[in-house]
Formats: sequence, C-alpha cells, structure tokens
Amino acid sequence: MRYSSVDNFTVQELMAVFLARQLRDGDHLQVGVALPVPEAAVRLAHIMHGPNMELIFLGARMNVHQLEQLPLPEFGWDNRVVRWAESYSDRGHRFDQVKDWYRRVFFIGGVQVDRFGNTNLIGIGNDHQRLDFRGPGSVGTATLTTHVGRYYIVLNNHTPRLLVEKCDFISAFGWGDGGADARKRLGIPGGGPQLCITPLCVMDFAEDTKCMRLISVHPGVTVDDVKGATGFPLEVSDKLTTTKIPSLEELTILRGRVDPSGSLRS
Amino acid sequence: MERQSVLSTEDEVGNWIENGMTIAIGEPAPMGMVRHIIRNQISGLTVIGSGIALDFLIAGGCVSKVISYYAGGGFGVPVAPSFRHAAQTGELEVWECEEGVLTSGLEATAKGLPFLPWRGGVGTSLPEVNKDLRVMEDPINGEILLAVPAIHVDVALLHASKADVFGNVQHQGGPGWIDLFLRRAANRVAVQVEKIISNEEVRSDAWATTISNADAVIRAPYGAHPFYSRGHYTQDKKHLKLYVDAATLAVTGEQAYIEEYFRRHVYEATSHIMYLEEIGITRLLSLHEY
Repeated sequence: MRYSSVDNFTVQELMAVFLARQLRDGDHLQVGVALPVPEAAVRLAHIMHGPNMELIFLGARMNVHQLEQLPLPEFGWDNRVVRWAESYSDRGHRFDQVKDWYRRVFFIGGVQVDRFGNTNLIGIGNDHQRLDFRGPGSVGTATLTTHVGRYYIVLNNHTPRLLVEKCDFISAFGWGDGGADARKRLGIPGGGPQLCITPLCVMDFAEDTKCMRLISVHPGVTVDDVKGATGFPLEVSDKLTTTKIPSLEELTILRGRVDPSGSLRS
Repeated sequence: MERQSVLSTEDEVGNWIENGMTIAIGEPAPMGMVRHIIRNQISGLTVIGSGIALDFLIAGGCVSKVISYYAGGGFGVPVAPSFRHAAQTGELEVWECEEGVLTSGLEATAKGLPFLPWRGGVGTSLPEVNKDLRVMEDPINGEILLAVPAIHVDVALLHASKADVFGNVQHQGGPGWIDLFLRRAANRVAVQVEKIISNEEVRSDAWATTISNADAVIRAPYGAHPFYSRGHYTQDKKHLKLYVDAATLAVTGEQAYIEEYFRRHVYEATSHIMYLEEIGITRLLSLHEY
C-alpha cells in the first residue's frame, strides 16, 4: 500500500520530520545514496536543533548550520556536494577510525528487511549466482552497521515482499535471530537498528526479543493496514500512538530551506 | 641519461591489458580507457568497479567476473541494467563483497599479506555466498572476524585532475573513492588526467601529490565523461540516461539501441579525441561545476 499524501503534507515529508526528531545535537550523520528521506531529515535536524551535528555525504564531512539553505543535491553522486566540506576523505580512510563511530548515525534501506532488522541489498532468490532479482550490492553497509552507534532502517515502500520473515541473504546484520544479546554474542560493537520507518508506520525492536514492533501508525493508517502489508506476524506496542504530524515551523523550514525543489512532494 | 617520461597513449596502456586479467576501475571513472577496452574486444576480465561505469564493460562483453560491492543504477533504474541481467542469468560470476571487505583485501595485497581480518560482514551472508571469505577466530582474543584474502590487481585504471610526465598525480578535491587502495594493490597503474602540468608545478605543492610513480599518465581532457571529474565537470545526466535506457532495452531483447550507442561512441569514435568530437563542444562545456 502506498499513500501519496496525508492531508496537506506528503508521507515522505512526515517521515523526514519524524526522523529529524530522532537525531541529537552532536550526532555524526552519514547518509548514502538513494535515500531521499534521510537526506532531508539530517539537514532539517541540523537547522532545527543540531548546530554541532556533522553531515557526511560521499566522504565530504560538513557542518553547514549557518547556511541559509541546505539544498538537496540534484542526484546521489553530485560531486558538487563537496563545496560545503570542511574535510574530505575517501571511504577507505574513513574506515580506519571505526573505533570512534559510536557518535555516528547511519540510515539504510534494502530489497528485503526481516523481523529482526537484518537487511538485504544482495538480491532475492535461492541461488546467489542466478538470482531472481539481483540487488545493487552491499555498498559499505556491512561495515557501517557493524560499528555505528545506532542506525535507522528507512523504506520507500511497505509490502509483504519487502518486510519478510527471513531475508534470502543478509548484507547488514541487525539483530540476527533476535534476543537482546544478539550482537554481543558475535562481538558486533555498534548499537544496531533502532527504528524502521516506512510510508505506513514506525516500528521499534522489543527490548528482550528484538522483534520488530509497531509503535506508531501514520495519520489515516490502521493497525490492520500495517499488519496486512507486513510479511511476518507483527507485534503491537501497548503504547501505540499516531505519528505526530509536522509542526508549521518544521514544514516551513523543510520546504523553504531544505527541499525547495520539492523532491519529497513529487 | 635523462629521466624517463611516462606520458602514454590509450593504445600503449591498452596493450597492457590481456584477456582474463583482473583490472580495477577507479572513480572518477577512466572512461577513455573503458571505451578503449570495449573497442578492442578484450574479454574474460575480472573487474573491480562500481555502478554504470562497470555496466559499460559488461554491456561491451568484456567481463566474466565482477568484484562487486555496489552496482546501483540511477537514472530511473535501481540496479545497473547489464550487471543485473548478467548476474541473474549466471553469465557473470559475482565475487560478493562490501566496501570495508574490499579495501581489506586490497590492503592485504599492498602489504604483502595473505589476508587481513575485518569485522564488517560478521553475521551476514557474505562468507556463505563468497567462499573466499572465511570466518575466523582471532588468535589474540578469540573474537569472530572475517579473513579477507589478498585481492590481486593486474592493472588499475584511474582518472585524476593533473599529473606531470613523471607520474606524479594530483587530485583536485581529493582522490576519489578507493583509488589509492587500488593503486597500492595494483601491479601497474595508469592514470588519465585532465591536464599535464610541469614538474615545477608539482614541486610547488608536493603535499597535493596523491599518487607518485604512476606507470603511465594519459592526457585525457573530459576523460571521465559521461561521469564527473571533481573540480572540472559534473555528470552528463542526459548522456547517462541515453546509455541506461539503451542498456535496459538490450536486456529485454531489444538490441538496436545499445548497438547504435556503442557504434557511435565506441567503435566509430576510435580515439578519445574523436569521442569528444562526437559528444560535441556545446554539451561538454555545459557540464561546468558552478
């Protein structure tokens, strides 16, 4: 199921505003390609409440809090993004200091996501050398999700084919087979996936089982809508709420200073 | 005796590359050399590369194995079309990896080691779908790690901003991607540059030298087209869309557009300069950064 708008803001804008509220001043926010919602969210948070945040795109590390506009690059690999950089490093060098990544926050999508927040960018099928659908590949997600302090799964769709019981392949380890110590057992240091944000809802991971759990539905969406669009039995939090809509200030800054071209409204 | 210049031509560097070799394609993409390889019908290559630049070589019939961490598409398709098709039909062997895994394997080669350990990928399917990656117990603390074998590279092809004729290369706006890892791992490295500069200019800012002792430098203004070259020009989105659309049609059985694309831009444009003439000065000069 896909909603193009909720009242007079789009669901992508709602997701970006929700995500921006999860980000804290001082976070180092690393955003990869093809993730329009996190791209907007980190800029919005940087303006709203994050003067000490660092934004990292394509190896370009920047603090652009003072700028009037933080426009989204026209496309993922726009080399002009480095115009705002205070420093720049290739990805390999950035992987040399993973011990300090507890301050770093990352965002990830996938062609499949399972109930324990493991994600798959490899592809769908049984035979790895003859996949039914070949995905783009892991990029740097295995390393990033291993080491960053926390990360968010952000999806452009919410379907039973995307949110599955078990990924055909895991390219980034979330909470494995579940359990609060799932990462610790394998010596994986990072804080793991915190939330999964989709066009329908927000889910967290239950403290003890690390099973995905519905915590808020977007305005106009029912719990049954979400359950019907999810490929595994979804737990529902007893604190279930409706996702808080953007404030006028958030929407004004998002549209005027972050996304003037309206990429989240198309 | 005089110090030897390494200023080279596409043809000279092309002669290094033999069927079945392992080559690495840097970022910005050395497209002059990529087109040269396709034009010369080199085949059976193992390619370390990414995205649409990698896709060109696959569509051109040059590749039998890919050392792959990312082959995204863009321009309307999430996955590079020729890569996706060849991987799904089994025509292409995929050595599945990830950026941290790949750089570990390249660094192992550079350091003369059989492998390097890496933590990213522990708990994932990577060691299941790529049997060369081994899950190991570290001998110091008993932690679970991946052992990434040394990845050997015959030739690294890179594109940069400028170099002198002695192989001192300087990137404007930083070296791209993992180019320095590729350089360190490769037996030979050839670097296309936007501009050849004097040795005096190199020495005036020695800290800016990112690669020294390149085995060849090739004068190739706009040599990364249709991709970007940092400090010089942006991606040519119209041209990339042309390629992606043609390659997407080709994998559904409609070959005419990709054949026409390669005929105009690769086979009949028999040098980089002829390619630039085919693209045209109006289009090239419209790609300025600012």
